[in-house]
Amino acid sequence: MFSFNKSTHHHKGRILEKWVFDAKSPLLSSAAAVDIDKDGKKEIIFGTRNGSVICIDEQSKKKWQYDIKEQVEETESFFYDSDRIDSVPATPTIKDVNGDKLPEILFGTELGIVYCLNNQGKLLWKYKTQGAVRSRILVEDIDKDGTAEILFGTTAGKFVILDGNGKERSVIEVDGSIESEPAVSTAEATQLIFGTESGTLYSYSPLGNKLWEFKARGPIRAKPAFGKLLSEQDLVIGDTTGMFYCLDLKGNEHWHFITEGAIYGQASMADLNNDDELEVVFGSCDNKVYCLSHRGEKLWSYETDFWIVTAPLITDIDNDGALEVVVGSYDHNLYVLDGEGAYNLDYMPGLSGVAHQAGHYTSVMTSEPGAQVGKRLWQIKTQGMIVGCEELEKDNIIVNVKSGFVDDITHSN
Amino acid sequence: MPETIVSDKKAISRVKLHIQGLDENIQGGVPEGHLTLLSGAAGTMKSSVCFNVLYHEAVAGKNGLYFSLEQSAESLVNHMVNMDYDMRRINLVIVKELSDLKTRMAELQDQTLGSLIIVDIGTIRKEIHDVNTDNNKSWLNVIKNVVKKIHVEAGCPLLVLDSLSALYVLSRFENPRIELFYIFEYLRDLRITSFLISEMPLDGSKYSEYEIEDFLSDGIITIRLTPFRRQVVREIAVVKMRATNCNNDIFSLEFRNGQFQALYGGQNPLL
Repeated sequence: MFSFNKSTHHHKGRILEKWVFDAKSPLLSSAAAVDIDKDGKKEIIFGTRNGSVICIDEQSKKKWQYDIKEQVEETESFFYDSDRIDSVPATPTIKDVNGDKLPEILFGTELGIVYCLNNQGKLLWKYKTQGAVRSRILVEDIDKDGTAEILFGTTAGKFVILDGNGKERSVIEVDGSIESEPAVSTAEATQLIFGTESGTLYSYSPLGNKLWEFKARGPIRAKPAFGKLLSEQDLVIGDTTGMFYCLDLKGNEHWHFITEGAIYGQASMADLNNDDELEVVFGSCDNKVYCLSHRGEKLWSYETDFWIVTAPLITDIDNDGALEVVVGSYDHNLYVLDGEGAYNLDYMPGLSGVAHQAGHYTSVMTSEPGAQVGKRLWQIKTQGMIVGCEELEKDNIIVNVKSGFVDDITHSN
Repeated sequence: MPETIVSDKKAISRVKLHIQGLDENIQGGVPEGHLTLLSGAAGTMKSSVCFNVLYHEAVAGKNGLYFSLEQSAESLVNHMVNMDYDMRRINLVIVKELSDLKTRMAELQDQTLGSLIIVDIGTIRKEIHDVNTDNNKSWLNVIKNVVKKIHVEAGCPLLVLDSLSALYVLSRFENPRIELFYIFEYLRDLRITSFLISEMPLDGSKYSEYEIEDFLSDGIITIRLTPFRRQVVREIAVVKMRATNCNNDIFSLEFRNGQFQALYGGQNPLL
């Protein structure tokens, strides 16, 4: 028999829109929220499709804007997608790359140029490569020499490593355009891991030696995520055919899970149900957000009305001691879901007509009486299709929407 | 500009096919802004039928854009001249260099005649060797940008793309269903009346390469070759035409006295 678990968490309050900023250009990715000027308050920095990087403060006041001004030879310009030629497709990366103790802002463009700005939005250097830079740039000290390296892939199939001053350190060439953000694992030996449009997940050493490759069913756009699932550190990633994989750090598959839509966003991991194991949460273009156990079994899913392309955030938005899953959908809504889900009964014993018919033991009686499902706590409509979410504070989410608005969504008691 | 809702069917503006006997059976023509697939095997006169539309519309003062991906502009024009199309009645513009486009469009501003603009992509491809087309640079973008530029700068409401099959060779489609959806939507958003030529096998087993084009297009016109005794006759039929009460009968397609004609709809031709 089953029993009802009394919920120990009381989700109070509501979520509401604090402010909206009009970027006056479509947006393609989430913002980054970092205190770049060390004044104790975070700045919100994002790129636009029209070729700008904008920095606003926590109250949505614009601090600076950097406009890309690249000239393209007229004949060559016909070969680019005119809607994307100046676009900044991915979230800017904010890290100190030159050791001046202040963060720099790094981003790539459709024209294949990587820009490095100082914290006032002034250009420090730029680097031109072949193909577009569509994924977010990674900054990591991969050779442990105390200085950061800059890593990114291009649509021309090049994986580029620069030093902090924009000088090329090495280029790894692979088969297939790279549109997924790379990740670095330092669990055992350092591994640089990235996916390609040809559906291969590659692992390279910092010296450029291939360690392993894993063939997915289709193109990979998402960034790998790492966590202790079945071994000390495993990797999870989805592909655009809807497959979601868990691999060990040698590229061997532990398990996979099949969804009905493309997976573009990185998975998030946390112990959502206090079982001392990590749960894996990700969105799919089958409109659902999934929560899987560390063994790849579905714990719950929640269906929105359109695609989910963003990475879910896991945070205690209402400060009740339990984690919530925050996810944006192309259906314009931001959803806050209970991290544990909820048990949904198919029928109510004592009230069900089937249960009261003597002598009837139907499949309803003998099968599972219900299922664990996603539980929506709050939902708020934003200005458009959500392309990215970033946590400003644990109760304050910055939402970027495709039509060009930045929404600040906050929890209030 | 998206398609707008009309309150009266008479408010749907149409572009004539200029095929005598067929326009009368499709309420006068193809609805403006619609995408029509013209499907047929080699030798069915698909290019001629499409050129015929642009030519007659140019004679009436409208500008039209003919995108030839394989056949050279000279070959196409000579073929049409041989069919007695009088090019002096229109302003014929041939674009063979992308860098010329701006100048050629500026010249159109002073024109009193309607213009038929042929963009000869085959020749342009031969001229351009140094553009490395990787994932963010493609010939598909060239086509989209040129169409948009001419549509915006020259007020060009008509397009012929000859052909989709050549486009598939030129631009590698990794996910045709999604990529074709965006191309069709791109043309639809421009509100440009488009005729997309689809080269199909002789048996007429399908209308398009990936078959998704059939669903994405607003209309399908098919032309086939049918052996008749020791002759081959061309037959034309409107398979689908959105927002149109059309006669789906099969017609014989003939070109007589400088005029396309659709004859014997739904009937056997007299023996």
